[in-house]
Amino acid sequence: MRRFPLLVALLAGLASPVQADQLADADVAGWLTRMAAAERAHSYQGTFVYERNGSFSTHGIWHRVEANGQVRERLLQLDGPAQEVLRVDGRPQCVSGAPAEQLADAAPLALRQLAAEQLAGHYELRSVGESRVAGRRAVVLLMLPRDQHRYGFELHLDRLTALPLKSLLLSEQGQLLERFQFTQLDSLTLLSEQALRPGVSCLPIKSAVTPLTTANHWHAGWLPPGFNLLAAREQADPASTALLTWLMFGDGLARFSVFIEPLQGESVVNTRSQLGPTAVVSKRMPTAAGEFMVTVVGEIPPGSAERVALAMRPAQESTP
Amino acid sequence: MSREALQESLSALMDNETDELELRRVLAASGEGEVRATWARYQVARAVMHKELLEPRLDLAAAVSAALADEPALASSKPRLPWRGLGRLAVAASVTVAVLAGVRVYNQDDLAATQLAQRDAQPLMQARPLQGPAVLAGYTTNSVAVPQGQGASDAQQRWQQQHLPAYVRQHAQQAAFIGTQSALPYARAASLEGR
Repeated sequence: MRRFPLLVALLAGLASPVQADQLADADVAGWLTRMAAAERAHSYQGTFVYERNGSFSTHGIWHRVEANGQVRERLLQLDGPAQEVLRVDGRPQCVSGAPAEQLADAAPLALRQLAAEQLAGHYELRSVGESRVAGRRAVVLLMLPRDQHRYGFELHLDRLTALPLKSLLLSEQGQLLERFQFTQLDSLTLLSEQALRPGVSCLPIKSAVTPLTTANHWHAGWLPPGFNLLAAREQADPASTALLTWLMFGDGLARFSVFIEPLQGESVVNTRSQLGPTAVVSKRMPTAAGEFMVTVVGEIPPGSAERVALAMRPAQESTP
Repeated sequence: MSREALQESLSALMDNETDELELRRVLAASGEGEVRATWARYQVARAVMHKELLEPRLDLAAAVSAALADEPALASSKPRLPWRGLGRLAVAASVTVAVLAGVRVYNQDDLAATQLAQRDAQPLMQARPLQGPAVLAGYTTNSVAVPQGQGASDAQQRWQQQHLPAYVRQHAQQAAFIGTQSALPYARAASLEGR
């Protein structure tokens, strides 16, 4: 019986593709909205795998929505180093496994809701049927990039909770860049206080020293269409007192960071490399105020990252 | 010997599972460039699977042949001169330097290592056809290797080692605060640790 509506939809699609697309769009938008709300709506525990080129790891997740709406979440890597993070409403409370000085940088940012309308301008959103992940029924959504400046996503959302059970990042040629996939998920059993208690190696985090700023001294001469500034920070490097700039851009799905720091006579070469889905491009930039190193890091195609790096300019120079 | 059969034999050889006859066939065919390329590719695939580091273009046989070919006088006239042995040593040394140089450049940078393992596994990613203005001049499939340009000094590489991993980590950690799917950036960040 379940197949029948799908068949009708397919036939309708053959008859009037435009209308079918619109139906599918509305469907996809509905699922995305549900997905965006799912983490605040459901408590769950489970295990997932993360795979990218050269790396495969398994993780446990314990996620509890408190009566007052607060979300407590504990993540623990299950193989290799026992990396752990405990977050309350997205703010990390403690982290293990990473150097402490970098953690002081971690500043909470406003949660961005996934806006289907915004996404639709740059991704073709498609519902492509059903699948089964972690023993649960899932709907499969495709987000195909409309240009070459972003990667495609394949999302498998849990039918019951709309939680993403599986997420694949795909290059333009359809190659798999990264896989995130639950192997087990329980959204019914109540989570104990014990399950959310971090281990002793999970070290508390100091609150961020430098507040986020919207003003910055740099101007992006070129951005891939649809990418906006999400966060910016300028911070004095404790070692050299040089002003480091960090900017983060996103299109609603994909994100990249731009790091700019002055070169104090250091001899550095331009580099580009790729860590699974993450492109890393460093470019030297001579300006009137001296030479700077611009580094773009993000889940965007390396060509686009390079173009962003080459187009960064000091704000003064951008307004002739 | 057909191509498929040969590839099968190569694969078996790599896993140490060839019988003597098969080994002879492979050795007989090993002069062909295509067979060597296949062998190199299999090694890269294995390196990726085992997370090993490998310089795929490092064809020692070819390097040695080339070095020997560049030593014309030695093989011919004036036999028993004292520097004859020295010349051989020089050939051997030049090959060694080439090997060491390769290891130095490619072993130093974690980013480079991962990326190197990927180069053959994901050739299409770099070969993306680029549209738009020609800002990307010099963006070729082969120049993807980490320091661009040849003589990257130790100081230059030190900057990359000090800064890039921290940048990548910070990006992954910050990304976890924005957006709805927080587990994914967390896993990305975690995959960078403990390497």
